Amino acid sequence: MSTPPAHLIGLALGNPQALADLSLPQWEALVCHARRANLLPRIAVALDDLGLLYEVPAAPRAHLVAARTLAHAQADAVRREVAHIDRALAASGVPVVLLKGAAYLLADMPAARGRMFSDIDILVPRAALPEVEAKLMLNGWAAIKTTAYDQRYYRQWMHELPPLRHIRRQTVLDVHHAILPTTARLKPDSAKLLADSRRLLGEPRLRILAPHDIVLHSATHLFCNEDVGNSLRDLVDLDSLLRDFAQKGDFWPRLSSRAAELDLTRPLYYALRYAVRILDTPVPARVQSAAEMGRPPAALRGLMDTLFMQTLQPERAAEWLASLARGSLYLRAHWLRMPPLLLACHLLVKTFRREQATAH
Amino acid sequence: MMVGDLPYKELARRLAGAGLRLRTGPVVSRIRSRLPAVVHGVALHYANHTIEDEDGFADFRVGVVVPPSLRRWVKPQVLFEFDGALPFLPLPAPQAFAMLEWGLNWCVSNHCHQYLIVHSAAVEKSGRALLLPGPPGSGKSTLCAGLISRGWRLLSDELALLDLASGSVVPLTRPVSLKNASIDAIRRFAPEALLGPPVHDTVKGSVAHMKPPTESAHRANETARPRWIALPRFERGAAARLERLSKAQAFMQLADNAFNYDVHGRRGFELLADVVTRSDCFAFRYGSLEDAVPVFDAIARQP
Amino acid sequence: MSPQSPQLWFSIPPRAISWREWDGEFVVRDERSGSTHHLGPLAGRVLQVLLQASGGVSVPDIVSRLGDQPAPADEPEWRAAIDAVLSEFQRLGLVGAERQ
Repeated sequence: MSTPPAHLIGLALGNPQALADLSLPQWEALVCHARRANLLPRIAVALDDLGLLYEVPAAPRAHLVAARTLAHAQADAVRREVAHIDRALAASGVPVVLLKGAAYLLADMPAARGRMFSDIDILVPRAALPEVEAKLMLNGWAAIKTTAYDQRYYRQWMHELPPLRHIRRQTVLDVHHAILPTTARLKPDSAKLLADSRRLLGEPRLRILAPHDIVLHSATHLFCNEDVGNSLRDLVDLDSLLRDFAQKGDFWPRLSSRAAELDLTRPLYYALRYAVRILDTPVPARVQSAAEMGRPPAALRGLMDTLFMQTLQPERAAEWLASLARGSLYLRAHWLRMPPLLLACHLLVKTFRREQATAH
Repeated sequence: MMVGDLPYKELARRLAGAGLRLRTGPVVSRIRSRLPAVVHGVALHYANHTIEDEDGFADFRVGVVVPPSLRRWVKPQVLFEFDGALPFLPLPAPQAFAMLEWGLNWCVSNHCHQYLIVHSAAVEKSGRALLLPGPPGSGKSTLCAGLISRGWRLLSDELALLDLASGSVVPLTRPVSLKNASIDAIRRFAPEALLGPPVHDTVKGSVAHMKPPTESAHRANETARPRWIALPRFERGAAARLERLSKAQAFMQLADNAFNYDVHGRRGFELLADVVTRSDCFAFRYGSLEDAVPVFDAIARQP
Repeated sequence: MSPQSPQLWFSIPPRAISWREWDGEFVVRDERSGSTHHLGPLAGRVLQVLLQASGGVSVPDIVSRLGDQPAPADEPEWRAAIDAVLSEFQRLGLVGAERQ
């Protein structure tokens, strides 16, 4: 069977048995693309779940196993780090909501399996930011970006403290007070997110978002975030979340209405559209229709299709087209997050400072 | 088929086109580049290395390319390409071959977690491996180059790959990277050694690479159990001195100098502990290769 | 002598620790923190005593379980040394203490 390379990653995740027929050059392409998309350990887990990992030829298998070893070590590191964060903030009484990977891991969700982890993201009430920052710094975290510009960028315009790195452990923590910047066009209400958050099982203080909000946050992060290199990985997260939550009876009916409540119908529209098209996520037809309320104008949708399909299927695109697409997405993500004047100013400074860096 | 079997033009053609599938121990890299410095470097240093077939599996797809910009006419730069991305800032074009070597090291140390990887030179004699762990500047590469010029087999100059199951050193057999004064030291100590053209003004000073001895390249699939661990320290003018190091200290040094000790957790702990248990451990100070090499020859003669 | 009841020391669960000893020196890996430590002879022996104990042990207990027994004149020095070791272990998260 000759599988067109365009869908190798989707195939690997959705139908791992089909990988049995891959030739070595096809394995090489799959490992190369999956590694770049940070999805190699996930493929290892998908194969292992079906008892197929040790049928993979030795040379590609070594990479699958190595990636899974790394992902496990990262997961251990996340657990330790969350324990440190919990200890540092325990006395403050501030509700700390884990976001993204840390949430999936600590809540034992399928989305955490085979996932790679790096920074930890938490959500706290805006009013609690000064105290949270103070407690964290007391416990060894320090700001990474220390120029006045960066500090202002994060505090005033974005939705988070400037990223913090722990002095001794060198781990990075992003403290958010909202899931989108206050200057963004979309305005999901953090108070609602916090109100519906729930305690982690077995944990007195740590919390995660409610299931609908976890999905909506993932969709928002995917389609509004500037780190487009992880886009396919984020879509895979989303697919995993949807498949898992779909098993809960009351999940689908309220998804669109919650999106409307949080002003996130546009990201939800894109999320469902691309999850269905690229990863074959089983989303009921009525849910897809309900999500149409977030549909962009037809011309824009055509453009977004081109941009996102290129980014989310890196194997397909000629490299130049992919980097063009990624560049446009970077612009778009920022556009969604910052008003145009601020965007121009910010991009100018970023470009200028990168050139300063390379001038050395 | 080995790299040296290809006519130079054919080598250049493959590197410029579909890529050259080069085997270095357990790692196969598909290398692409149109730069003459890279073609020359590959032809020189990898002459005795195997080329793999097109229908096999390459572990890494790498390239050294010129970025499309006006700079290419004034002060040309080169970029390292990996899996289709460009992970590093560019370097001046004369450093193209060095960039390939540094890039390949980065690929292995960041991804080959099927091994426990120590920042260490490794050489072999009579079936037993000597590990020379240490940070840059410790003199491990110079000592490694000296030893392999006197009959020791090169396993690796920079990355010692330890097999998790057996604790054996798996050879990576790539050119030895020499810096600054080491370049002349090796030229004096081993006039017959093949060195590539030095490049200057790199972040590490002047850099040149030494071709792996032919036998080392041919035996790149032979592993070796570690038997000695010596932490080298080069000190100009110092007499060669080998001092016993406690095993606990040697363990900590290996763990400190490992790229992925944390990735392997408890398993990495047990592996390094086993390696240390069966090895004699030393701290080694030296000022000249003429003094240093006989010290290890003497150790290798002991049972 | 303090009128308080003695402090009892206990190590983190033995399954969280990997250790090896060569010539009296120890290396110890703590799974919970991911850290690896190099311990001298006294520190290593103290940790072993705590790992082997079921329940908390006081400093005098530790002294009596160390194997080599100090001369009575040396006991205060030993206890001081063990106190220092335990403090350090506490800082590293290897041991905890509670009053009986």
